[in-house]
Amino acid sequence: MTELSFTEEQRDCLQELINVAMGLASDKLARFLNTFVHLQVPAIGLVNAADIPAQFRGQYQGLNSSMISLGFFGDGGLRGETILLYQLDNASKIAALLGYDDDANSEAEMLTDISSILTTTFLNGLAEQLENSFSYAAPRIIFSRDNDFISKLEQTAFHWQLALQVDIRYQLTDYSFDCNMILLIPGEAVLKLKTILDHVLAEF
Amino acid sequence: MALTALICDDSLLARNQMKKSLPADFDADIVTATNGLEALTVLRGQEIGVMFLDLTMPELDGVGVLEVIKAEKMDVFVIVVSADIQPEMQKRVMDLGALAFIQKPVNSDKLSAVMRQYGLI
Repeated sequence: MTELSFTEEQRDCLQELINVAMGLASDKLARFLNTFVHLQVPAIGLVNAADIPAQFRGQYQGLNSSMISLGFFGDGGLRGETILLYQLDNASKIAALLGYDDDANSEAEMLTDISSILTTTFLNGLAEQLENSFSYAAPRIIFSRDNDFISKLEQTAFHWQLALQVDIRYQLTDYSFDCNMILLIPGEAVLKLKTILDHVLAEF
Repeated sequence: MALTALICDDSLLARNQMKKSLPADFDADIVTATNGLEALTVLRGQEIGVMFLDLTMPELDGVGVLEVIKAEKMDVFVIVVSADIQPEMQKRVMDLGALAFIQKPVNSDKLSAVMRQYGLI
């Protein structure tokens, strides 16, 4: 993993690009939910993809949770998959506030809408700063109440070497809405990302 | 005597972007801080003409810095430079006395226009 690890400058650079992309996503989420989103400095870390499922087992097991995954493909071999993990405690409340019908299908629809705002806006913002552009696969939704959440995560993580883990808490004015976002990136795309970050750093 | 400008941001990249985006005819010494607490120490220790302030930072965030500046009636122009572009946040920092709000990543033309408007260049 040594050749894949980031220098302190690269990590700082990526963190700032993520901050800007998160700002765009939060602004859009705030407009969609008609509320204010408290932004915190996201914790980012580069970990072995294989270690991800065990970590989230502790955090999410036994809870009513949902996982939504979205694959992205950029120029020059930059690609990966984002995973959003939610706790669903407030999902029905948020769905009601947004005027979705009170049933499981509507809740799934709402989560897809919110995930699309968070991931697509975030990734578009990140791509623009990297002078790249991403296209997306269709999102996949997995509810923990229907499936073994962690085994799905294991199956997904298995395909990737490295995970860029971005822990984000979207705290809304009227209710808190916890979610974790994970960017899973294959090794060769990490090398590509490092090269791009060096270009960004060289400009300043 | 040249003005002293303070750039407060937790990211090295953002501080460097900010320095590089400053207009060429801006005659100032530049000092930096990496979070809100450091910024307050600088503000209390020397005369700062203008501060470029990030919002999302560890220790003390930009809103916290603006609150202290307002409470202690510190004499400094503050230009907020942030990725948190929600209208409510922009209103909040302007209400706390910020001169202007600039969206990240900073655009040098926009920055020049704002600085010209307030007679900084």
